[in-house]
Amino acid sequence: MDPRLQNWIEGYLNQTISKSDFESLQKAMLGDPELRHLIRRYLNLDCHLVSEGGLKISDLSFVPWSQSRSGDSDDSQRGGVRKLALSQIGVAAAIAFLLGALAMYWQDFAWKDFANEEKRDAEEGNRDASGQEQFAEGFAVIKNLIDVTWGQEGKGFQIGEILGAETLHLAQGKISMQFFSGAILTLEGPAKLSLNSSWKAYCEKGALRLKVPPAARGFKLQTPATEIEDLGTEFGFAIQDGKEKLEVFDGEVLIRPDGRDTVLVQKGNAIELSQGGLPVAITTGEVRVPNVEGDDQLLQKQIQSDFEKWESYRDELCQDQRLVAFYDFRSDPETGLVPNLCLPRNAEFDGAIVLGESVSGRWPDLSTAIEFKRPSSRVRVNLTTAFSAFTFMSWVRVDSLDRQYNGLLMADGYETGEPHWQIRKDGRMMLSVMVDESKENPYRKNARGFHRVYFSPPIWDLSMSGQWLHLASTFDPEERRVVHFLNGKVVSVSEIEDDYVVRDLRIGNAEIGNWGHPFREDPVFAIRNLNGRMDELAIFNAALGSQEIEELFKRSHSRRR
Amino acid sequence: MGRRENHQYEVFIRNFTKNEQNLRRFLRSLLPSWEDVDEVLQETALVLWRKIEHYDPSTEFIKWACVVARFEALAYRRKMARDRLVFREDLFELIAEEAQDELEGASLERSNLQKCLSELPADQKRFVLLAYTPGVKVKELANQEGSSPGAFYMRLKRIRHQLLNCVERKLQNQ
Repeated sequence: MDPRLQNWIEGYLNQTISKSDFESLQKAMLGDPELRHLIRRYLNLDCHLVSEGGLKISDLSFVPWSQSRSGDSDDSQRGGVRKLALSQIGVAAAIAFLLGALAMYWQDFAWKDFANEEKRDAEEGNRDASGQEQFAEGFAVIKNLIDVTWGQEGKGFQIGEILGAETLHLAQGKISMQFFSGAILTLEGPAKLSLNSSWKAYCEKGALRLKVPPAARGFKLQTPATEIEDLGTEFGFAIQDGKEKLEVFDGEVLIRPDGRDTVLVQKGNAIELSQGGLPVAITTGEVRVPNVEGDDQLLQKQIQSDFEKWESYRDELCQDQRLVAFYDFRSDPETGLVPNLCLPRNAEFDGAIVLGESVSGRWPDLSTAIEFKRPSSRVRVNLTTAFSAFTFMSWVRVDSLDRQYNGLLMADGYETGEPHWQIRKDGRMMLSVMVDESKENPYRKNARGFHRVYFSPPIWDLSMSGQWLHLASTFDPEERRVVHFLNGKVVSVSEIEDDYVVRDLRIGNAEIGNWGHPFREDPVFAIRNLNGRMDELAIFNAALGSQEIEELFKRSHSRRR
Repeated sequence: MGRRENHQYEVFIRNFTKNEQNLRRFLRSLLPSWEDVDEVLQETALVLWRKIEHYDPSTEFIKWACVVARFEALAYRRKMARDRLVFREDLFELIAEEAQDELEGASLERSNLQKCLSELPADQKRFVLLAYTPGVKVKELANQEGSSPGAFYMRLKRIRHQLLNCVERKLQNQ
């Protein structure tokens, strides 16, 4: 756990935190709904215990609290004892509690001894290793981006990405987002907008158009000078030359200038507001608000053009000597098979879809993906060629990680030299290659199969459900390296140690999106279908470098998540 | 007290008592200490009583009460000395919004905690309740036992950790 954060929280609960550290804690909380949720949970527990607590003072001397404290003792505070009142005890307890909890929270992000983890998983079966309830949070989703340049103060986002309590810094261009309340906001840069909830946003700079359907009535836009409550309508708002201007296109809005009564502004009216001043009527059409007409068509055109560019680049890629198989999961209407697009054409490597459903891919209505929702869904292949290294690369949409291990590409027998590429329930990518099937399994007692699993840190959580991700992993015996990539970026590099080097690699019979032929009769591992979609899978007989993978990501992504 | 007032008083008392725990929980998420929570809860109760005739019984009392409590907490927050550790307003609003949404699970969480408490070994249960007993002074207790407050807190930490895990597990199974 981050010791600084630990100190901040302790300080907050003790009321001893410095002003600047308190600021930092607040900043962390603002940007992290999980952290806020966690802190609330501990305060809630504190609450329950306060209401439960209540031994009689006369009982206290008989409470043998110190009897079983062996190993608990912390002598650092001996001699520095403070008197504490009830509330402070509660606070101190909350701190102690928080530390434990935060340790659990952080553990998900820390690098650990992964080998031991797999051992534990094997022992514990399908139980959720973290023991934590999963949740996803957010206030809005990005619907469209037109010629956007993000400001340097903040981070950038993609279409389809979920926005939490973010502050958007837009240098130029237009963003359209839909709040989960139903309100649609289009913002034009230069602008600065903070999302407070599904029902509230704060605009500090820029111009916007807000459309509020009946279900989102009551959506509030806060501005430096006022608060605008939308009563089911469409209005435009802009901060121009230091003045706030509002024009109502349809319906009506309520405004509350600081410290004054509410003012109703109706359709066809425009006003100007200054901080603390009275609203003044101005002529309509004066407010420069984003024009949204044609934005959807423009986006569609951009997507079409990107897709065509990728298709032509992909044709080139298919001639790459290192490529063994490339599937776009568009099945051949005559054979019903998924053709291997790699050239020169080798029909032997075509895939057979079993119960996988053909669905829309990452380019909506343009590309095809295969969905592996049913436990028996899979694409079967037989890649009878020798490999000296592996690169597996795919566009994957994970809907949820239902299984302890969720298969991407799994060799049937997992025999010597064969790979398993998968995602674990906690969101880590895994690549392993069997080193020697006849030797003892280092993770399980009395089992055969000497191998090592190379993990990435968690790359997926429930908030990313339904997003398209570019995943790649390389296994390079020459360089003794296993690398995992997410969206073109390296997320982990692991060394292949002496004992685990295996040079003669193969795949043979294998399954995409599942593992139907486990090598052990173990129900825990029997189902590994990926609850999600796969759009393209490339298998190389080489370990591609990071620049090459980044380039492939950039050329093949579809502007949306 | 007239009949009408009498009825209103009943409505108020019944609803307030039923929801007091949830209101305390809600306020605790926003304010830095229990003293602050008690202060604001008192104010909130007064305002709710004064406005009870505006309360629409077809809506949930707790939702209405939270709106008032949130407003009172915000007003209190603004009055608080600048050097106090109060959440900035945007974070305050965010937490209030989220804490309100989470109230629904509170009673389940409470009953789970009760179950978990009863499952604790007797000495651990006594210990944790002791820690929350009004008037307890850690120093004195530690002295009695020939131990240190540090050891006290360490043990408390472990038990709370255990309780949290237990509550989590129960929630997942439900």
